[in-house]
Amino acid sequence: MRLPWKKPAHEAGPQTSTFECLVLPLLPSLYNIAFWLSRNATDAEDLVQETFLKALRGFASFEPGSNFKAWIFRILRNTYLTSRSGLAARRTVALEDELNKNGEAGPAKVPEAAIDRQTPEVNLLQLADRAALQAAMETLPPELLEVILLCEVEEMKYREIAVILDIPIGTVMSRIARARGALRTALAAQLSSSRGIAHD
Amino acid sequence: MTDHLSHAILNALADGELSADQLANANDHLAGCPSCTSNALHQTLLKSATANAGLRYAPPLQLQERLVRLAFEADSEPQSRGFRAAHLSSSWFGWGSLGWAAAALLLLFTVSIIFVQRAAQRVERASAEDSALVTEVFDQHVATLAKNMPLDVVSTDRHTVKPWFQGKIPFSFNLPQGLPNDTTLDGANLTYLRNQPVSQLLYSIGKHRVSVFLRQRSGQAEVNESLTERSGFHVMTFGTNDLEALAVSDVDPARLAEFASAIKHAQTGDQPGSK
Repeated sequence: MRLPWKKPAHEAGPQTSTFECLVLPLLPSLYNIAFWLSRNATDAEDLVQETFLKALRGFASFEPGSNFKAWIFRILRNTYLTSRSGLAARRTVALEDELNKNGEAGPAKVPEAAIDRQTPEVNLLQLADRAALQAAMETLPPELLEVILLCEVEEMKYREIAVILDIPIGTVMSRIARARGALRTALAAQLSSSRGIAHD
Repeated sequence: MTDHLSHAILNALADGELSADQLANANDHLAGCPSCTSNALHQTLLKSATANAGLRYAPPLQLQERLVRLAFEADSEPQSRGFRAAHLSSSWFGWGSLGWAAAALLLLFTVSIIFVQRAAQRVERASAEDSALVTEVFDQHVATLAKNMPLDVVSTDRHTVKPWFQGKIPFSFNLPQGLPNDTTLDGANLTYLRNQPVSQLLYSIGKHRVSVFLRQRSGQAEVNESLTERSGFHVMTFGTNDLEALAVSDVDPARLAEFASAIKHAQTGDQPGSK
């Protein structure tokens, strides 16, 4: 697959946009995602710095005018996968087996019966509680967390997410559906738990 | 009625990923299906709340400074090399002076870059926060209109609505006595914005519903008055002595502004009869 930002080696030369101008506005986003994935400040800093240095070294091969954000997020994601926290996370979660035993080539295969048809008012209370939602996000496995962060927080299109994560668009859709389902389940569990405590 | 919208369609609808045809079909279905409309709204609220909750960690200052320095050095490296080559044959004194001047310029430029970056980030963050707040307010107003739940307090009497909040919110507010023509108080909700308790006052202007969210101002920062349009609704932000107010409605902006003015003047007490 030819990546949209990859420039053939013979075309590599001086860049018109400076690396600095492109990368610095993205630091807050890179750090936010890095912290969510690695779950601690030190690893997040290491991850961002390593991403930064890798991007700097590879900047000569970046195609000016193409999607720099997707390019550097892909570097961040690949760096995370080979980091200590990324390897630990991969050992605990059996990736595709855990996500979908039927394969994920197509769109979401969530049975309609499993769609959350509960009264929205129940979860509206939970959605207003930022801490509750963050706690629910912390329960997501990395494969679902990263896709939901890219989609919701970074507002990336499915196509961009597919390139960053190196997966088909159908898999992106499937993971987003699963991530949202898992969030709703976690919020509902929190709600019933708090009600249980209140009743005690 | 055809089958309900699938989970994939509801997700793609919330993410703005439907094609024009799919979107038209989905809208046709939503127009006649309260269940799917409710689910679509809920999906949108979940998306918006997740986006807000996901913005959680800010990079430490020393990391930003370190990376800014690295980036600047990387960008200036080719010029520095050229500069050194061109001046190797000049006198030691001249090289030294130019070196110091270059170093001073470099330092000045680095410091400027850091300040500019910080200012840009502050502006960007503030703008993102304002936008997220408008989205949150808009979502809550639409949810209030969509749901069939009664309001926390249903009354057209301001002497009933205001006291209802006693002990529920850490601030107080006034409700205007004299309202613009065809405007009535419907009631109020206790709700939350950014984890802070706020009062949501519900009014009707003609047949248009208006929500006014009142919350304590954070710090001493002035509240800039602004008007934002979101999906046919208008969100007006304004400040009073200690409060920040956001009014949202699909009513004509001029009438919304007139109404907002009444709310504002009630807080400052320069309107006769305000309570």
